[in-house]
Amino acid sequence: MMKIVAGCALGLLLCTSAGTRDVELFGYFEPQYNGICQDGTYYQFHYNKLRTDLKSRAVKNIEFGADVIYLLYHGKSEWNLLDFLPGHIRSSVPPETHRVLEFAYRDTLFLDNVYARLTLSRFALTAGKQQVSLGTGYFANPTDLFNVKDAIDPTYEQPGHNALRIDFMLNHRLQMMALYSPESNWEKSGKLMRIKAGFGRFDFSVMGSEIEYMVTDFPTMHVRQRQRRVLGGDFVGEFLGLGVWGEGAYSFLKDEEGEDFYEFLVGGDYTFESGLYTMLEHHRNSQGESDYREYDLNDWMRFFIGETRTISRDQLYGFVQYPVSDLLVVGGSVLASVSDRSAVLVPTVEYSLFENVDLVFMLNLYVGDDGKAYGSQMGNGGFIRCRVYF
Amino acid sequence: MSGIVQPVRGRLCAILVLWTLVMNMNLHAQSEMTAEEVLNIMTETMNPQQSKGTMKMTIVTTSGEERTFEYRTFSKNGGEKSLMKYLKPTRVKDQAILMLNDANDIWVYFPRTKRVRKLATHAKRQKLEGSDFSYEDMGASNTFIEEYRAIRHDDEKREGRGCYALELTRKPGSDAGYSRILMWVDRDCLVPLVIHYYHDEDPELLEKELVCSDIQLIDEIYTPMKYTMHNKLDNTQTSLEIVEVMYKIELPDDLFTELGMQR
Repeated sequence: MMKIVAGCALGLLLCTSAGTRDVELFGYFEPQYNGICQDGTYYQFHYNKLRTDLKSRAVKNIEFGADVIYLLYHGKSEWNLLDFLPGHIRSSVPPETHRVLEFAYRDTLFLDNVYARLTLSRFALTAGKQQVSLGTGYFANPTDLFNVKDAIDPTYEQPGHNALRIDFMLNHRLQMMALYSPESNWEKSGKLMRIKAGFGRFDFSVMGSEIEYMVTDFPTMHVRQRQRRVLGGDFVGEFLGLGVWGEGAYSFLKDEEGEDFYEFLVGGDYTFESGLYTMLEHHRNSQGESDYREYDLNDWMRFFIGETRTISRDQLYGFVQYPVSDLLVVGGSVLASVSDRSAVLVPTVEYSLFENVDLVFMLNLYVGDDGKAYGSQMGNGGFIRCRVYF
Repeated sequence: MSGIVQPVRGRLCAILVLWTLVMNMNLHAQSEMTAEEVLNIMTETMNPQQSKGTMKMTIVTTSGEERTFEYRTFSKNGGEKSLMKYLKPTRVKDQAILMLNDANDIWVYFPRTKRVRKLATHAKRQKLEGSDFSYEDMGASNTFIEEYRAIRHDDEKREGRGCYALELTRKPGSDAGYSRILMWVDRDCLVPLVIHYYHDEDPELLEKELVCSDIQLIDEIYTPMKYTMHNKLDNTQTSLEIVEVMYKIELPDDLFTELGMQR
């Protein structure tokens, strides 16, 4: 009931605001239909998503932006992570833990982003819940300590983060960024500094950060917040006609327990004269295991809930895309674990149905053996997504 | 009275003779212009020092459907720096493309994720929002001069106007997207009326035809208000109309930066 009232109030506010000068109201409606086949059973689950954006530039040099997302789920909305675990891990989970691994998609209404941005000629200050996108990688961004991309659909938008961000441009190829993400105290809050410079055909950046991250011990369900300092950097440019990029981050743990860890990614791309676009990335996560027989309950669960980006140590990501016509693009990606020789194939078709209506059709086919990173236990499936912009 | 008129008439005659001489010399000079000279003046005309405008792009697909985009453009240093910001449709609203060094450096800004992505040179071949214009077609101001060797053929009539006919051949080692270009440049305005772009790997295969029309004098610069690109291989067509344009403006350098894209 509260949600409906809040939704109506927000809707009224948006509509009223949109009627005034210098205020823009836009967004999209996105129904998505998913199917998954798991252990011989076919399941369907769907959602209807409404995103409404409000943007105002009523005050000189200040932009106010906000978006509200309303998600309505239907079909099979209740799941148990146990079903996605390999057989031998599943049988080792104590029965009292089973209920903890249950989760459900519930209808939600939330303020995804809400921020004010002051922009002067060489300076920008953004305060509020905002998008934070760092790094040059496509399928994963080791330097992005705020988001974990969905490897199957890596370009899908990420949630907003509470932060105070300053961008300062020293000259047209040298800029500095400082970000503070407030939590209950200074220690727990995220701090990040980044300097980016351009040399010739390359952009480079170095970053330093202090940020908490969550480590859950699933057999005991004990959650720990651990402090870490992160040093990292990225680059993007061109070499021998190929687009090249890379990024890496090394995490130093502040407490004595546990080991420091690192992640890096390198990639390259090329567009052929025919319009065929090709890309290849290699990603290493030192927290991942190099032998799939060592994957335990913690590894799987931390991977599922996004505490770690991958379960296996080394992976290759390949992506191709070809514009068949001006409205139809076909392509696909393959994410392969080099460490355990498993892979997921993701064929994709994108079609521009009308001026502001896009259709996306995507499959995910896991071709690895049960127990491997991209093994059959994950369940093969796919979705059809329609997005209507307004 | 006649005493006054006579010297005036005499002076008028002298001016007329002088003007005729100058015009003849000018015409002679124009007819004697080399391909490089025509190309240089045309490039200068088509790429004013600074410009700000609104463009409307209409893509006609193979099935006859239309897709319309509207965007704001800013350019500086004779087109060496350019910035495009989409206004319509809402699908791409606020998306921005920054091209520096004659489109050799391209950055794209995606507003929903606030991500800026740098594209490599090969991406210049990609179609701009599925249109028949590539990033290279849109951004590179000096490409004709720097990447091609030009020769001049006999003048021809195109679109009912007298034109210089030029043939451009890609220089060895160049990574420009077309192997050969034929263009017909209006003798009076020195703007191109028709350009034929030939395939990257086959200099005999006509890939695209660009027709520039509705030439108007804006801020003392001849400006084609409509560009129509016809893709001969896909049989699709994209037209680009200038809704408004200004040349007598001062654009800050800060506009052509990552922060400028997001502003």
